[in-house]
Amino acid sequence: MSKVDPKLAKDIAKYGAVDFSACYNCGNCTAVCSLTEENASFPRMMIRYSMLGMKEEILSSKELWMCYHCGDCSATCPRQADPGELMAGLRRYAIANYEPSGITKLIFKSNPFSILLTLVLATILGFFLLTMKPDFTVSRWIFSWMPYAVIHLMGLIVFSFTGLTALLGIFSMSRRLNSKHNTDSNKTKKSIFQSIGEVMTEIGTMGRYQKCSTDEGEYWSTKPNLVRPWFVHWSIMWGFIGLLVATILDFLFKDPATTIWLPSRILGTVSGLFLIYGTSLAMFYRITKPTKTYEATKLADWMFLFFLWVAGLTGFWMEVAVSFNLSETLSQVIFMIHTIISMELVILFAFSKFAHAVYRPIALYFLARNRE
Amino acid sequence: MKNKIGVYVCHCGGNISDVVDVNKVREEAEKIGGVAIAKHTIFACADSSQKEIAEDIKNLGLDGIVVASCSPKLHLFTFRAVAERAGLNPYNYVHANIREQSSWAHSDDKKGATEKAIALVRSAVERVSHSVAMEPVSISAKNITTVVGAGVAGMKAAIELADMGSQVYLIEKAHYVGGRTSQWGELFMPGETGKSVVSYLYQEVNKRQNINLFTGAELVSKKGSVGNFEIEVKITPRGIKKDADTSGLEKAIQVCPVEVSDGFNFGITKRKALMNYHPGQFPEIASIDAATCTQCGKCAEVSEAVDLNLEEERITLQTGSLMITTGFDPYEPEKSEFGYGDYDNVITLPQLERYLELNGQDLVVNGKKIRSMAYIYCVGSRQPEGENKYCSRYCCTSAVHSAIKVREKVPEMTVYHINRGIRTYGKQEVLYEKSSKNGDIYIQFNEDTFPEVSRNGKHTVVKVNDILTAGKELEIEPDLVVLVTGMIPRKDNAIGESLKIPRGRDKFYNEIHPKLRPVETTIDGVLIAGVCQGPKNITESVKSSLAAAAKTYSLLKREEITLEPIMATVDSEKCEACDKCTTACPFGAFEFIEENGKKVARVIESNCKGCGMCLPVCPTDAIELSGYTNTEIEGMIDALTESDY
Repeated sequence: MSKVDPKLAKDIAKYGAVDFSACYNCGNCTAVCSLTEENASFPRMMIRYSMLGMKEEILSSKELWMCYHCGDCSATCPRQADPGELMAGLRRYAIANYEPSGITKLIFKSNPFSILLTLVLATILGFFLLTMKPDFTVSRWIFSWMPYAVIHLMGLIVFSFTGLTALLGIFSMSRRLNSKHNTDSNKTKKSIFQSIGEVMTEIGTMGRYQKCSTDEGEYWSTKPNLVRPWFVHWSIMWGFIGLLVATILDFLFKDPATTIWLPSRILGTVSGLFLIYGTSLAMFYRITKPTKTYEATKLADWMFLFFLWVAGLTGFWMEVAVSFNLSETLSQVIFMIHTIISMELVILFAFSKFAHAVYRPIALYFLARNRE
Repeated sequence: MKNKIGVYVCHCGGNISDVVDVNKVREEAEKIGGVAIAKHTIFACADSSQKEIAEDIKNLGLDGIVVASCSPKLHLFTFRAVAERAGLNPYNYVHANIREQSSWAHSDDKKGATEKAIALVRSAVERVSHSVAMEPVSISAKNITTVVGAGVAGMKAAIELADMGSQVYLIEKAHYVGGRTSQWGELFMPGETGKSVVSYLYQEVNKRQNINLFTGAELVSKKGSVGNFEIEVKITPRGIKKDADTSGLEKAIQVCPVEVSDGFNFGITKRKALMNYHPGQFPEIASIDAATCTQCGKCAEVSEAVDLNLEEERITLQTGSLMITTGFDPYEPEKSEFGYGDYDNVITLPQLERYLELNGQDLVVNGKKIRSMAYIYCVGSRQPEGENKYCSRYCCTSAVHSAIKVREKVPEMTVYHINRGIRTYGKQEVLYEKSSKNGDIYIQFNEDTFPEVSRNGKHTVVKVNDILTAGKELEIEPDLVVLVTGMIPRKDNAIGESLKIPRGRDKFYNEIHPKLRPVETTIDGVLIAGVCQGPKNITESVKSSLAAAAKTYSLLKREEITLEPIMATVDSEKCEACDKCTTACPFGAFEFIEENGKKVARVIESNCKGCGMCLPVCPTDAIELSGYTNTEIEGMIDALTESDY
C-alpha cells in the first residue's frame, strides 16, 4: 500500500527534472534502455514513482544508480518527457535525501545558496591557510582575536561533520537498498567477495557505460573510444583516484617532490593528465551539447567539473613550478587556490554531485548481491 | 408451363468449372422438357454474355431463363435487369447457385458436385416453368416526416428536412427543447456551450414555416405503414395561458409549495412543480410539471398566466415516415457502487457538469471547497459482470475536458484519472494532451480489480491497483470522487414498444445493417438517429440524424414508394380468420376485413416483406407467397427428389 502524494512531483522538479508529467507510460524508454535487467521496467517506473510521489520507492531504487545518462530514453520519448534528465534529477534528489542535514537540498535547489556557500568556504579556508604563515600581517590580525587552537578545532569539527554526514548518508542508502521489500528473501544471495568483485570490474571497465548510445546510427557509434563519454568518465574517475593515492603517498613519506621520477610522482603526473583530459572534454561536451544528454546542465554539474578541472590544472602548475623554479609568489597563490578547491571538494563531498562516487558503488554492490 | 426456357451455365472463370463439369450440366439441362436452349459461358455476368442472353430472349422468344452461377446475393439483380432489357418479365428468371452450393462446397468430389449442380439446375428449371410475371407494387406516400425528440439530433434533422421541402412534425416530450445537450456546459471545441448550441438550433427551427414543434407531446400509437402512417399524439398542456401577462410567474414559482428533486440538475438541487428548467431555456416560458402538481391553486392566485386546467389533449397526425431521436439516460450508479449514495462527495460526471455550471468561479460540493478530485472511469460501461458491455464513447473525452474546465476555475486542483484506458479518439486527443501537461495523474486499473471507495474518518479513500505501477496498490485521498457514468437506453421505452422498434443486445434501438443501412430499422419508414441507437457524442449524433434526414427524404420525395411484388396473398374462400397469421407476422402486415359477409384476413401490401413466416402456420393453407408459390416450391422439391443425387 502506497499513499499517493502529488506534491512530491513539484519538489522533484526543483532538482532539475523538466517535464516528466507529460509521460503517458508507453514504456519506450524502458525498451531502449541498455542497462535495465530483469523486470525493473526502468526508467519508466521511476517516472511513475515521481508522478505519484512514492518517495520510498525512489530512494530505495538500485537501478537509478545503474544509469549513466546516455540519453537513449530521452531521444526515444514520444512525449518529450525527458526521462534521462529526470533520472539525473532523481539522483540529485536521492543524494539530498540520504544525508540528514538538509544542506544538500539547499545546494541543489538554490543556485545563489550554493555559490554563497562556496565563496564563504573559500574565504574561511583561505584564512585557515594564511595561518600556516604566522608572520603575515593578516595572520597576526586573525590571531589577535582567535587563537590558533580554536581555528584548528574548528577545522576538525567541520571535517568531522562532513565525514559523519557522509557516513549517515551511506547508512541511510544501504538500509533502504537492503530493505525487505527491495530484496527477495527466497533468493540466495551472492557472496560478498563475488559481489565486490563485480563492483570492481564495473568500476575498472565501465562495462555498462561502454554500451551507451553506441548502437549503429547513434551518435557515439562512429566516434573512437578515446572521446566517448565512458572513457571521459573513466579518465576523470581514475585520474582523481590516482591523484588521491599519490597525495597520500607524498604525505606518508613526507618527501616533498624532489624528483619527478619518484613512483608516487609518476603516478601523480599520469593521473593528473587523465583528470585534466577527462574534465576538459566533459566541459567541452557540456558547452557544445553533442547529444541530448548534455542539454540540461545544472550549476551543481558545472561546479563539480570545474573544481576538478581547476584542482588538476593548479596541481600541474605546482609540479611544473617545482621543476622549473618559477615565480614563488605566483606559485604560492596557485598553491592556495589548489588547496582551497581540493578542500572544498572534500568538505562538500557528501553534499554535492561528488557523493555519487560512493552511492554508485554501494548500489552496484547491492544489485550484484541480489542478482542471479 | 413454359416451353421456351433458356439455361446458362457459368464457369465463373474456373471457380465452378474446375470442379463441376459444366458441359455435362449443360447437356443434362438441354434434355429437360421445356428447355429450348442451354449454353455454358466463362463469365455469365460479363457484358458480352449478358448481351448474348438478351439476344437469345429476343431471337428465340424465350419465356423463362435460368442462370446457374454464383450466389443470387451477387447477381440476382444483374440478370433480372438482363431479362427486363430483353422484354422478359424479370420474375420469369430464376437463379441457380452452383458455386457456393456446389463447386466451393464439394471441391473434393467432382462427380458429386456435377450431379448436385445438375439437380439444382433441374429444380430451377422446374421453378421457372411455373413462374408468374409480376409487376412492382407502387403506393402513394406523404412527404411528411415526424421527428420524435427535439434534442440536437432531432432539431438538426428537422431543419434539414424542412430545407429540402418536407413537412416536419417535431414532437418533444418535455416542455423544452434541447434534451441532454442543454444540460451540458462548455463543450469541446471550446467557446460553445450546450445552451448556445441548443439556442441556435431552436431559433433555426422557429424560422421555418414547415416545421411544427409540439412540446409536452408524446407519440402514443401508430397505424398504417410507410408513406401513410397515422399517429396519435398525447399533449400535456404547459399550464401557462397563451398571450397572458407572465410578469407574475416568478412570484408564482416562489409560492408553489411542492418541492421535488430537480432532474435537470441530476438531483443536486430542488425545484417546484411550477418551474423554469434553466436560465435561457427554450421556449423561454415557465411550465407546470403535471406529474408533481397538486393543483393547490396558490400559483394561480399570484399570477393570472397560470392555467391549472392540465387535461391532456390527443391529436392525430398523418405522416410518411417517423424518425426516432429520443436520446439516452445517463447511467445511474447503484447504491454503494463506488460509494455512490453512501458518501455525499461521490457524484457522477453529469452532476459535476451541473456543479460547474451553477458554481461560478470555484468548485464547491455540499459546502466543501474541492481541491483534489478523482475520476473513476467506465462506471456503467464496459462492465465485465453487468449488462452494459459497450463503451459509451463520450465519457473519456467529457471527463478529461471537465478536468481542464475545473483547473481553469481552480488552478491548484489535484486531479486523478482512474481509468481503464483513455479513449479520447480523433481530434479529442488534444484534450488528453492538455490535461496531461496540466499535471493530471492517470492511474489505470483493469477489469480484475476495481477501485474501492471507502471512508477513513473525515477522509474519503480510493484504493486502486495501478497497472502502470506494476499493479501496486495505491491509496488516494481526494476531496471529491466523480463517477464517469456512461449512457444507457432511455428507461422509458414507451415509443419503442408502441412502434415495435427492434433493440440490440445493448438494448439500444437497432439498425438493419451497421454499414450499409445504418439509420433504418426493420420497420419500413421508421428511422433511428442519435444516441437512441447507441452511444454517440454530439457531433456523431448530429451526423447520424443528417444521414437519417437524407434517407427519409429519398424515401418520400417522389411521394410514391415502389415495393417488391413478392408478398403474401390470402385466398378469402379458404381463410377462417383464425388469427394465427397475425401472430406469426413480424411486420404487422395482416388486417381483417369483411368480404361477402365473412371476416377474412387481408395483407397490407405496404407492410408485407414476403418473408413467408405466415405460410406454414395457416391451418387451411389459404396463404400463397407470390414468386414462391406452392406449385413452384413443390415442383422444385420433386425435381430434387427425383434426381440421382
